[in-house]
Amino acid sequence: MTREDVLTKVTSAFATILEHNNFKLTDTTTTDDVDGWESITHMMIISEIEKVFSIKFKLMDLMNMNNVGDLLDVIQSEI
Amino acid sequence: MRFIKNLQHSIESNSTNNVLCINNTYYTYKEFATEIKKIRFAIENDIAASEKLIGLVTNDDIQTYASIIALWLEGKAYVPVNPDTPIDRNYHIFELTKTKYVIDSSKELVYNDLNIINSTTLTKEYPNLVPKEIPENDLAYILFTSGTTGVPKGVPITFSNVQALVDSIDAEPEFNLTNSDRCLQMFELTFDFSVVTYLFPILSGSCMYTIPKEAIKYFYIFKLIKSKKLTVLTMVPSIINYLRPYFNEINEPSVRYCSFGGGALHSDIAKEWSDCLPNCKIFNYYGPTEFTVYSGFYPYHKETHTKAHNGIIAIGTPQKDTLYLVVDNENSEVAIGKTGELCLAGPQITPGYWENEERNKVSFFIKEVENKKIRYYKTGDLCLKDHDGDFLYVGRADFQVKIRGYRVELSEIEFHAKAKSKLKVNMVALDILNKLGNAELGLAIESAPFDTKELFDYMKTKMPNYMIPMHVTFLKEFPHSLNGKIDRKELKKHFNIN
Repeated sequence: MTREDVLTKVTSAFATILEHNNFKLTDTTTTDDVDGWESITHMMIISEIEKVFSIKFKLMDLMNMNNVGDLLDVIQSEI
Repeated sequence: MRFIKNLQHSIESNSTNNVLCINNTYYTYKEFATEIKKIRFAIENDIAASEKLIGLVTNDDIQTYASIIALWLEGKAYVPVNPDTPIDRNYHIFELTKTKYVIDSSKELVYNDLNIINSTTLTKEYPNLVPKEIPENDLAYILFTSGTTGVPKGVPITFSNVQALVDSIDAEPEFNLTNSDRCLQMFELTFDFSVVTYLFPILSGSCMYTIPKEAIKYFYIFKLIKSKKLTVLTMVPSIINYLRPYFNEINEPSVRYCSFGGGALHSDIAKEWSDCLPNCKIFNYYGPTEFTVYSGFYPYHKETHTKAHNGIIAIGTPQKDTLYLVVDNENSEVAIGKTGELCLAGPQITPGYWENEERNKVSFFIKEVENKKIRYYKTGDLCLKDHDGDFLYVGRADFQVKIRGYRVELSEIEFHAKAKSKLKVNMVALDILNKLGNAELGLAIESAPFDTKELFDYMKTKMPNYMIPMHVTFLKEFPHSLNGKIDRKELKKHFNIN
């Protein structure tokens, strides 16, 4: 799966949980840039992504995730 | 005031120690003292001596913490407002307290109707940290919590209230901080729990580790525990609910103390969390804002101290000088083992809600015991006392709920939701448990579906983020119980949030 494909699926997971698509995700996007992306919805987004890609994140990966680029890196290393 | 003198001594004698770690930048007690002296100079020179209640914008920086200490040395109270809360609500708080001055370290200064002290641009220093003589009934801070009629409720706390809190924690032999401790400070400074997470570390010369606003809180906390080897944690239980799926990856021997408060701690998760912290003592604290943060605790131990009621860990016994009383509707004590409302008395009790006589009549009462008049605060929490003298938490007596540790009156949400709605329909705010066991807010609307954007945009101008419902459901007709009341339990089933 290319990074583009991963990004497309991640974007749709964000839209499902946040119930809007008023954002454009790039490698440098952080919680500050997306309306509604905060502690609680982050947990829901993580679960949704785990479901979509059939993966399970490790706490070590999650705690070092600072932006969407980090998220994509971890997904790509898992699938 | 003894505790303020002790703050001075601790800051002076630990000058080479770190006081704060903010976003990976460390600040020493020496730098802290310098900031305090600058702010104190400004207070002394710019604020009239008669002005006692001073606004404080709560940023995550050294100036904000220094402002609290500077105000206390000068015998003044801080009235904290969160910069992320709608400005309307914050102005309202300043109006209610007649606050004319605000200390602000923000890049953008917005409280232009008040006199602003910009704490990041000060240069002149007050010569020392010697506290002024402070009358014990003067206020140390006023915090505002959610109120039922859309108006936030002010809880004033005096210097003698804070002194009593310090005395009761000092009297506890099981809990002793030292100047080598590394303490988690995860709380926003408008939240009363923050008082214990800055006051006790500073009094003992230890270092506080804060959470940047944009961080995902529970992951950042774990990162701090792991990378900074934190020794003292003070948290709301919802944090560990979020970390629970990853407990099998957590083993942190550095942690000595873990205190919980601000919500129900469940037995099953307490046991599992305890397994993650092999060298840690766990305290389950209880206490409302009106009683200066803590009123007592239960010393949890996964093998020896596991007392619980309906899966919720006991709140234990009252701390030094505090009295607990469980009463019925007539404020008479109920028998052991019987459920009633928990009332608190002692030197940590607030003088009463800020300019709210009506509320004070309802929430406080005087009871004569052995010819002594004792003033009690009614917590709204239902509890029972067992034969060992331990108190157990049963539930709430009203429609107040805890969202991420914050107290929320459901009726305040309903008030603001209905205020701007063109359709005059029934709306009910509810707390719904997600699959992690954390409460989230839902709004049920008795109507055909409509676009709620306008309604939510309005709510966001009136209430802080944690009070905005995350789920909405429309029902043609609300379910009712036999006595005609809206059946909230049944209504909750209409939310499918997991």
